[in-house]
Amino acid sequence: MRKLHDSLADLGRFSEPALLILISLADGPKHGYAMTRDIEVVSGQKLGPGTLYGAIARLEARKWIEPLPADDRRRPYRLTGAGQRVLRARLEGLRAVTRVGHSRLAEG
Amino acid sequence: MTAERLVRLYPPAWRDRYAEEFVAAVGSGPLHVQQIVDIVSGAIDAWLSSDVRRATVAAAGVRKGGRGMDSYSFVCSDSKLRYTQRDAWIGAGVLILVVVVFSALDIAARRSGLPATGDILKTLAFPGAVALSMPLWLLKGQPWKAQVVVIGVTLGLVFLARYVASLT
Repeated sequence: MRKLHDSLADLGRFSEPALLILISLADGPKHGYAMTRDIEVVSGQKLGPGTLYGAIARLEARKWIEPLPADDRRRPYRLTGAGQRVLRARLEGLRAVTRVGHSRLAEG
Repeated sequence: MTAERLVRLYPPAWRDRYAEEFVAAVGSGPLHVQQIVDIVSGAIDAWLSSDVRRATVAAAGVRKGGRGMDSYSFVCSDSKLRYTQRDAWIGAGVLILVVVVFSALDIAARRSGLPATGDILKTLAFPGAVALSMPLWLLKGQPWKAQVVVIGVTLGLVFLARYVASLT
């Protein structure tokens, strides 16, 4: 049976931007500009607009995020229940990988 | 170069859904080279990605129509279909092109005194063209392994049929 976090990995080159977007929205609904700023603060990466909206479209297609009514020209998005589950599974997977990496560094 | 100009590179349904918020997120000022490259590659992705098409089609359905509904009505008619009318036209174009190429190779082989090779090319022309065009429309958006299996089995059966025919 396929694991949930594998689904995020299925997004190919958009998997990392998508993960960053899910993490950003875990804090509450945000529009595109606010997401870019938040992601830059959290990860030090500045997502380009083409990458940002490529990832948003993919996340929306999978119903991991959903749009809210537009505020002026800006449309906020929020994390769905499915998106929370995918994010949690992905972070657990990353935590396991990080733990192994740290332990191997300590041994070396 | 501004975001308002570059957003025109995106498909109509994508623009209907995202253009306004996209421009608002980017701002209306001049863009850096990196941003321009990112937006252009995003536009190419939006034209090619079945994921992005599904997102924009779903949104168009919610929003009572507009250009997106017209452009992607082929998809909307059956949610299991992942290709658009444009994809079907591209698939048909590739199909015709491959048939023409196989036929030209068939003629070239016969003129070079290789009638057996010509026969094989002639047999393969249409089924081969159908198989090679499938990833562009019928199989678009399917996992690559599934595409390899379907195309491989199709071509394998054609080769098998050709081989059995050569025995009789």
